[in-house]
Amino acid sequence: MQDLVSVVTVGSIYLLFALGMSITWGTIDILNFGHGSIFMFSSFSAALVLERTELGLVPVVLIGVVVGALMSLLIQVVAFEQIIKRAKDKRAAEMQILIGGIGVAIIPLAIAQNHTRSNPFGLSASSFKVDTWVVGDLRITNVAALTVVLAVLLWAASAVWLRRSRTGLALRSIGVDAETAGLMGVDRRKLALATMAVSGAMAGLAGVLFTFSLGAITPESGDTLLVKAFACIILGGVGSMVGILFGSFFLAAAETVILTQTNGSWVEAVSFGLIFLVLLVRPAGAFGRKEVRRT
Amino acid sequence: MSSFYDSNLVLIQATLTGLVLALSVQVPLRMGVFSFAGAGSYGIGAYLAAILVLKQDAPALVAIALTVVFAAFVGLLLGLVIFRLNGLYLAMATVAFDLIISVIANNGGTLTGGATGLYGVITDFTMPTMLVLTLVALFLVALSERGRTGRRVDAVRDDPELAASTGIKVRRYRLVAFVVSGALGGLAGAMNVLVRSTVGPLDIGFGLIVLALTMIIVGGSRSWKGAVIGAIIFTWLPDLLTVIGDWQELVYGVMVAAAAIFLPRGIHGVVVDVKKWVQRTRRDREGVPAVALQDEGDRPTSLEEAVQQAESVDRPAGPPVARLATHSEVK
Repeated sequence: MQDLVSVVTVGSIYLLFALGMSITWGTIDILNFGHGSIFMFSSFSAALVLERTELGLVPVVLIGVVVGALMSLLIQVVAFEQIIKRAKDKRAAEMQILIGGIGVAIIPLAIAQNHTRSNPFGLSASSFKVDTWVVGDLRITNVAALTVVLAVLLWAASAVWLRRSRTGLALRSIGVDAETAGLMGVDRRKLALATMAVSGAMAGLAGVLFTFSLGAITPESGDTLLVKAFACIILGGVGSMVGILFGSFFLAAAETVILTQTNGSWVEAVSFGLIFLVLLVRPAGAFGRKEVRRT
Repeated sequence: MSSFYDSNLVLIQATLTGLVLALSVQVPLRMGVFSFAGAGSYGIGAYLAAILVLKQDAPALVAIALTVVFAAFVGLLLGLVIFRLNGLYLAMATVAFDLIISVIANNGGTLTGGATGLYGVITDFTMPTMLVLTLVALFLVALSERGRTGRRVDAVRDDPELAASTGIKVRRYRLVAFVVSGALGGLAGAMNVLVRSTVGPLDIGFGLIVLALTMIIVGGSRSWKGAVIGAIIFTWLPDLLTVIGDWQELVYGVMVAAAAIFLPRGIHGVVVDVKKWVQRTRRDREGVPAVALQDEGDRPTSLEEAVQQAESVDRPAGPPVARLATHSEVK
């Protein structure tokens, strides 16, 4: 049972992190490899502020969210928009965005590594303290509970918004056919910026909550999470909202099983192996409808 | 000169292995195959060479030969398994492959030395051998960029459908890309472990992919010259940048990001463009017929460029395909 709790908690972190990546990839065709850096740097910024003043939970989370959104916007304007402007076709743009994201991600990582000397950093200076609630024989921390609630709420909100609202429809239409969407009066640039900001905000939120629940994270932890998030997206199918929910919790469950059944050092291989397996057997993912392009 | 050589031997060796590693990622890229499997092959090569030397007492050259063959074979298998994938999916599948290799290395028990890795790999491997092997690899790669092969590779990258319609076996070219990438990656890994005498799981992780990619992005992805430029920059820069101390990594990041955004073909691409521009202005001034200038800097490196060049030549306009045909010689 305690394992189930950890599956749900870890899955929620994956969900929060991968949700933004999935939406940007599924709609505006941006697989943002800077997402891991945004995640880490938002939390790092909060840690920097906490070195100066003591803050409670809400301000710390807000710092993470705002920093995440701003970084994501910056990457979009400075890097991805420039790349798209220069690329000759969509395929070249996708690749260039992948490479550009990897390049941009080095900068925040370098700043954080420089400041922390590659040591883990934490948010323990906050006035908010992690508490453990004991229900029966289950142990749940307040951060874990908050993470689960926020992840599921945000997931549901974005799923409903994408499906029901007019803006959501416009955004999805970009994913289907960007050019036609533009002709129908969809402001692609504005929507892309908004999507990137929301995606970055969620990465920032995930960063702060993850740091609270682990106590401390290393500057490099964004990279690992990036590959895991990719596994979550692929598992469920790119752009599918049910898929990302399934993928996140499935990966968390699979990792927990491996962690409890073996000595633990194979955990990392789960996500990599799953990526490989899903791409081979069913590239569209469990819930994907979009045909994967092949030549 | 010899004191320079002695005091910088480590850097020279690192340049050579870095160059071969960069080539192993660049070759598939040049064929339009977005594969990072070279980094995984590097891991395979480093570990296999170390195991052969430590457990079987293999001489250096035997270890390298076996390693290269094995890594090429793994590359072939990988290519056969994932040839259906394309673009981002292919890229991520190969990233997963690389990371799986590093997890296996971490869990290989006594065979791979677990988290500490293998050490004490000492052989009769010498610097001249290393230099010769690197140059041979470089020469073979350079050869594939010239003449008919070079043009076919360009066609496979820029327009697979067009290439297939002209009788080029696109699938075979892509498989070859995997095999060559595996062999080069294996060579780089084996040479590195033989000169460094140690290898650990941390040496072959995500950072290795980023390193190989940064060399190519900054140097240039369309020519072996780009890989040379990139390998030299990223091995020697840390030495030159000791002045700014801790902020090296940041300078790197800015360089890579700027190159990725503004110079999609890297420094080598800029050099080619400048050369072309110089030739064009000279040609305009002297009034030499443009068709006569078909030397190194003027040769089209992609189909678009071929069309652009054909269009810039003053001759009766035909349909684009006809104009293209006069330049590409694709059979």
